Amino acid sequence: MTGRKNNRIKGHVDALATGFKYLAEPNRMTLNYPDESMNLKDNYRGFFAVKDKTCIGCSLCEIVCPPKAISMLDLTDAGGKKKKRPMIDWGLCIFCYFCVDICPTDAFQTSQVHDKAFYSETEYQTVHGEPMQYPYDYSKRPDYKEIYESFHDVAPDDPSAGSKKVVPKFDKKRGIKYEHPGQP
Amino acid sequence: MIQILSLLMSVSLVSFIEYILPPILYIIVFPGLIVVLLMLFFMIWLERKVAAKTQLRFGPLYVSKRFGGVIQTVADLIRFSFQEFIIPAGADVFAYIQAPGLLMAFGLLPLIFIPVGPYYANIFPANYSLLIVVPLIIITPIYVILLGWASDNKFSFVGSMREAFLVISYEIPLILSILSMILLYGSVNAINGVSFQIGRGIPGIVLNPIAAFLFLVVMIRTTGRFPFEISEAESEVVMGPYTEYSALFFGIGMSLPYIELYSFSLLFSVLFLGGWWPIVPSAAAASGVVGGLLLPGLVVFIKALIVMAFLVFLRAVYPRYRIDQAITVGWDQAVYLGFAAVALSMALVWSGLV
Amino acid sequence: MSAPQDRTATANLTYDELAGLKADRELVLLIGPAHPGSGHMKIKVWMDGDIIQRVDPDIGFVHRTTEKLSENRLYIKAIPIVERVMLPDTINANLAYVIALERLLGIEPTPRAQYLRTLTSEINRITSHLYGIGLYGIFLGSSTVYMWAFADREPLIDLIEEISGARITYSYIIPGGVRWDLPAGFKERAETVLQYMEARLKDYGKIWVRNPVVMDRTEGVGVVSKSDAIRLGITGPNLRASGVDYDTRRAKPYAAYPNLDFEVPTFSEGDCYARLLQRVEEIEQSIRIIRQVLKDIPDGRIISDDIYSKMNPLQKRMYEMKHRVMFPAYMASMRPAAGRSTASVEAGRGEIFFYLVSNGDKVPFRFRWVTPSFLNLPFFTHVMVGQHLADLPAIYGSSDYFPPEADR
Ligand code: SF4
Ligand code: SF4
Repeated sequence: MTGRKNNRIKGHVDALATGFKYLAEPNRMTLNYPDESMNLKDNYRGFFAVKDKTCIGCSLCEIVCPPKAISMLDLTDAGGKKKKRPMIDWGLCIFCYFCVDICPTDAFQTSQVHDKAFYSETEYQTVHGEPMQYPYDYSKRPDYKEIYESFHDVAPDDPSAGSKKVVPKFDKKRGIKYEHPGQP
Repeated sequence: MIQILSLLMSVSLVSFIEYILPPILYIIVFPGLIVVLLMLFFMIWLERKVAAKTQLRFGPLYVSKRFGGVIQTVADLIRFSFQEFIIPAGADVFAYIQAPGLLMAFGLLPLIFIPVGPYYANIFPANYSLLIVVPLIIITPIYVILLGWASDNKFSFVGSMREAFLVISYEIPLILSILSMILLYGSVNAINGVSFQIGRGIPGIVLNPIAAFLFLVVMIRTTGRFPFEISEAESEVVMGPYTEYSALFFGIGMSLPYIELYSFSLLFSVLFLGGWWPIVPSAAAASGVVGGLLLPGLVVFIKALIVMAFLVFLRAVYPRYRIDQAITVGWDQAVYLGFAAVALSMALVWSGLV
Repeated sequence: MSAPQDRTATANLTYDELAGLKADRELVLLIGPAHPGSGHMKIKVWMDGDIIQRVDPDIGFVHRTTEKLSENRLYIKAIPIVERVMLPDTINANLAYVIALERLLGIEPTPRAQYLRTLTSEINRITSHLYGIGLYGIFLGSSTVYMWAFADREPLIDLIEEISGARITYSYIIPGGVRWDLPAGFKERAETVLQYMEARLKDYGKIWVRNPVVMDRTEGVGVVSKSDAIRLGITGPNLRASGVDYDTRRAKPYAAYPNLDFEVPTFSEGDCYARLLQRVEEIEQSIRIIRQVLKDIPDGRIISDDIYSKMNPLQKRMYEMKHRVMFPAYMASMRPAAGRSTASVEAGRGEIFFYLVSNGDKVPFRFRWVTPSFLNLPFFTHVMVGQHLADLPAIYGSSDYFPPEADR
């Protein structure tokens, strides 16, 4: 396709014909986001939560976190025992998953949840020494399960709530085709 | 007494329908203001939609989703009308405010002199229609230059200078192209031109393809379609002459090229596409508003729409030329083409082929 | 063509004085930083009529102190930082840094990891070139090629997303190897995308590369001769488009490139059109490389034994199960022995150069990197003089200059 010699008239005709080709047979790649949303890949790096029981409070995740989105909280559990638990500031997190990977006990429960809207800054901002607000308030919600589930049931703060889920499939002719898994 | 009054009333009603309504219809409804407005809404939407389709996108969609976002432009108009109109500190306020209005007025004026049906001859003097249309079409850019000058912005200034250069360089090809058709039709009355085409059964584009092509190129250039979208080139001069404008005045600047496009396309379909052919109104029908104005007008309008749709589609295919290249084309190749078109017309006329 | 004026003569003048210097003829345009055709930089242009007399690119609007930031952080934390400045081209930035770090640590990645690095790097090169071609489209006024290029990045981005779980900021390459292995069925899917890309390149050729208007705009515009290209120190596709056969993948091989068979396209003209063709040709070569990598990729671990042996038993088990590298605690406490290392990597826009100095501490003592866009900057002042104003976006776009990358 390279090389400089070019017939001008052929060039114009080719360009117009290519334009018409795509006009007649549009190959749309847009995903109409709030109406449709993608089923993300299995290993997509989405929101995650720490399993309270598995974490040993070693602080490695805090040390490795590049934007310092993790800070260790001093908590007291029901039995009056002191423990350290990571608290994640979603306003800072860049989803690099260094923390997930470095955890010696694999205490992180990951998810493919990507769409989450916060109504105000305080919902995701860390206030040092203060417990985080919903849903990462470990003092009020010590059970990771609930937190994890809060990602999965379609919460009102998910902008794609109620959207059609589509699965992107590679295609030789169209690049990406969005398929509706529900349809036969 | 009452009888006289009622007689007078009926006479005036008849005269109203016969003499006063058609010009009003012509100016206000079709092909005048109302249709222009509808055409604007539709054309801007179509341009965005056509470009989007070619570009793997959807284009306007969310305003009236069921109809493919067709009233997106109306929404834009509402948005424009609620925006603040900012006058830059250094602007020449008087010129700055009046230029868009004058621009709009002169953009609309040519519409009156383009006959869209044989009935036109009854309403306006049609004998010199082509002679009047050409200068009216050429005059609008002067106000673009005024616009750019008044804004006190370097990018506006550069943009309006570009417009000035381009207009001057494409005047001669435009005149030559229309001249060759005038020679061919033997009349400066566009209605005669259409009768000529209908009478011979050959549209002007076949009779003189050079002139038609030239006219198309000048049309693309004058209305700032790609690849001649030079005076508003975004990556070079921001928005050209309209850089400083905001709110409705920006909307005027934005819609002006489409109005010009509309009058050019009407003229193109009258001169080159056989006008209201295949509707050939009989002499009786031609003297009525419906048979002489509306039906033929509809045909001309549809032809013009197709021409416009093709021209807005060019956006999806071409980038823009550099200004010196465009000017060179205007002074050089286009002028030769213009002479060739005139020569072709003369040859056709002299040889008696048509 | 008049030569640029002596900068020192006008350096102390204010803007108004400069503008008044030749007030009768000269027009000073400030293109940027808030101009549709400038990117995050300001280009000050002195014009006489439509001809550019002098150009002064003013950069630094998006300077992010990446070097100083990285000198105050653990070694591993610099990976996201170097990615952030080169968003269309993150893998290559990541790779360059990690190679420098590995040389400091004395770790060798495994062969499979090398191939995976090459694979992702080449996919990233295609997306980076598409980004450049697309932006060039909008600079010349063709919104179609802009939309096409950005849409066609999507399948390629999705491919790396399948491997790394992120769309742009992959943080995929770590000292000793890479973080994730290929998912099942990746080869077939990649082949689908490559075939799609090849078919699309033909259409790009028709609507953009061979479009007569594009050729008119770019041919003979902004010509950089071979000797000028070398003298100005420009790099990457821009250098090769001027006829210099220099590619870091060849000159200083890294990753799996020594084992692969590929060509380095060059063009002798050095004008904007050559730079455009250069990118298209490189996309074709990248497709070829990806095919080879997928064919030849060896089996084995994706992380070197040095790192693997430092994992705890749970992490080792995780690796065997999921082929996903867990970080040993070592990652958070790397202390390379005192010394220095360099690394060069051919990124989408040219050569990235890294220079790391360690004094045995947890953080780098000196962290220095040179990005290709920064090296390509001098060429603006050189070629824009004497051209038309409308050529400014043509030249700017053809160089694929990316301000955040240059500012670091
Ligand atoms: S994913 Fe990265 S940024 Fe987010 S908390 Fe974990 S280490 Fe920090
Ligand atoms: S690295 Fe894992 S175990 Fe250590 S504090 Fe973080 S979550 Fe807990």
